[in-house]
Amino acid sequence: MRRFWILLFTEFKAWCRDPITTFGGFIPPTVLLVAFGLLFSGELAFPIAVVNHDSGSSGAVLVETFDEVLSPFNQPYYRVLDLTEPKAWEAFRTQRIDAVWVIPSDFSDRLAAGQHPNIEMHFSNYIDDRAKNHRLYAAEILWRFYEKVGQPAPPLEMAEEYPFPEMVDWFSVIGVGLVLLGVTLGGMFNVFALTYKEQVARITLEFGLSPRSLWGILLPKMVLALVMGLLTGTAIMGILYLWAGIWPGRFLWAVYLLSSLVALFWISIALVFGLQARHYMAAAIVAILTGVIVFFVGGGFSPVRYYSKEVLWFARLFPNTYAIDPLRDLILFHVWPNNWLQTLLIVTGFAVLGVGAGLAVSERRLRRLD
Amino acid sequence: MTRFYLFLLNEFKLARTAIPIHMVAILQPSILFLFLSFILVHPTFKVNVSQPLMDEGHVLVEAMEQVGSPIGADYIDPIIVDSKELGDLRQIITVKERDGVPTAVQQYGLIDSNQVKNLRNRLTAAALHLWNAELKGRALSIKEHTWLPYDAPYTVYFGMALLPMAAFVAAAIIGGVLTAQDFELKTTLEYRLSPVSPVLILGARLVRLVLSSLLSACMLLVVAGLVTGFWPGNIWRLGGVLLTIAIMASCMGIILGLLFRSTIPAYISGLSLALAGWIFGGGFALASGFGGVYERISRLTPNAHAVELCFPAFYRVEIGNPLRSALVLIVFSVISLSLLFFTYRWRVTKQAY
Repeated sequence: MRRFWILLFTEFKAWCRDPITTFGGFIPPTVLLVAFGLLFSGELAFPIAVVNHDSGSSGAVLVETFDEVLSPFNQPYYRVLDLTEPKAWEAFRTQRIDAVWVIPSDFSDRLAAGQHPNIEMHFSNYIDDRAKNHRLYAAEILWRFYEKVGQPAPPLEMAEEYPFPEMVDWFSVIGVGLVLLGVTLGGMFNVFALTYKEQVARITLEFGLSPRSLWGILLPKMVLALVMGLLTGTAIMGILYLWAGIWPGRFLWAVYLLSSLVALFWISIALVFGLQARHYMAAAIVAILTGVIVFFVGGGFSPVRYYSKEVLWFARLFPNTYAIDPLRDLILFHVWPNNWLQTLLIVTGFAVLGVGAGLAVSERRLRRLD
Repeated sequence: MTRFYLFLLNEFKLARTAIPIHMVAILQPSILFLFLSFILVHPTFKVNVSQPLMDEGHVLVEAMEQVGSPIGADYIDPIIVDSKELGDLRQIITVKERDGVPTAVQQYGLIDSNQVKNLRNRLTAAALHLWNAELKGRALSIKEHTWLPYDAPYTVYFGMALLPMAAFVAAAIIGGVLTAQDFELKTTLEYRLSPVSPVLILGARLVRLVLSSLLSACMLLVVAGLVTGFWPGNIWRLGGVLLTIAIMASCMGIILGLLFRSTIPAYISGLSLALAGWIFGGGFALASGFGGVYERISRLTPNAHAVELCFPAFYRVEIGNPLRSALVLIVFSVISLSLLFFTYRWRVTKQAY
């Protein structure tokens, strides 16, 4: 055991000399986190202006409606800015607001007389998804407006049923995937960094000449990489907590356990490649590409349970696929996953297989002494 | 001039010492675009509807097919399923009577507010079609006045905003790594002892980096064009904008190499700088639309100005203040060049070994 601690400390000292190298495992998930955060979180409400020329009262009722209709994000769909007409058009022209709604002077009269009342909606459509939102949000506003002005009841009512009492946003769903990516990539990059230094300094030759089993030499490296991977994942979780308020709380240890088992599988593969690759960059690039592909395929972007069969068979080749939905249950909903024991067994199987194969192949590689 | 060509030739030959870096730097933006273009939001949603047993259900499905853009995509692709229960489906709509009232009940799988919003909005839009049809003259209609004559796919903006990043990342990474290698392989000592002017040495490297940078941007342009079918109108304007970015990025890359003198930190910092510029420089939507702190930060990046200048080439609409943006890019380029020569003098010409 003393030998293990000495080696672990030596590896740590080597790590301390060039810690920036390991940032390679932190940057990709952080970039994806910020990118997806900007895309899928933040203020949902579209800033718009309403130019109300209506001589009656219905136009004002319509304007009031904007604040009353809330989306599942618990925010109004539109944030109506208090702008004069010239300023509204100027703001629209300079893309500072997304739309201008114009209510004509005869709006109330036409509505009361049933003479096809209409409004104008000027909106930006340089991104089709935003244009789509304008059209669909407008339907939500009109639905509520009809109810407020006492139109006859709709021919079809609507109702919703949910499986859980609380709602999370998509960014959080992706965020959990990125935490797992962070742990995985963090671990892989640290292994690469440590093996690269040993290759450059030809310490691998000394390893190969060692009379004792090399598993004891390689294990501290894997442990250090795992710890650094968990630190990377924790940092991503920290950002996620600050951004979206998500934290596993009392389930943190279970999150660490599950992520560690997944990471051990990938660290073992990285160890083998790290000892083969003569070029750190090549190994790092392969690691990033593999990590990102597995992130997308292994349920990082949306729950695995909704995958089509064509994708699922491939996804099941990676431990991430089994761990990601239980991790979401733990981090987002703070509940034990229904299949916790089964997941743990499967992921442990992957880890044991990965570590065993990784150490065996690595030892063979080092014993070749070339 | 012959000496300059020799330096330039040598710069290109140096690519053999860092083939993976070159591949990543030049191909990465195109690969990133391809990856994200598959997962980026698309307006058309598949919506599961339980096999209707009531007339209202059939009418609802017909209304769903009408929900969409008059100048773009449909928003609902209704899928009729035999099941009445959610099961493994993401969502299902069942039309049934509740308290004697025909009701479309939408059941959801995982509670993801964005999915719920998208699915709820679509059902509301379809149900509103039915309500409007019943209201006849009392129905409120919306006259649409869109900014552009067509709804542009998000991938067009995404690809366009990725162009400055593509130009930046290639030059910054390759420049950083090659310059750091000069220190690792002691080539800087030869540079220092050489009677050749630093302008010649740096000039050759800058030209080579600018060409690599434009190659990366061109590759992305072709990939994005093939995926989206949108090609830029004013290629010269686009080229001019990307040229300033390439100059800036080349200077930044060499400066990072000079500062770190080690390949890995130079690579990572170059990559980080490029990604930060992309994310905060209007990589996902026009910076002016975000407003506040984001917009103020974005104005400090060359990307935001480059995106505004590239916009008319793709959308045929001028935005922002083109003159100001062009001026900012030129000033940034001049500052970068000055910083480069200053750093080179500090790290190579004057530095003792």
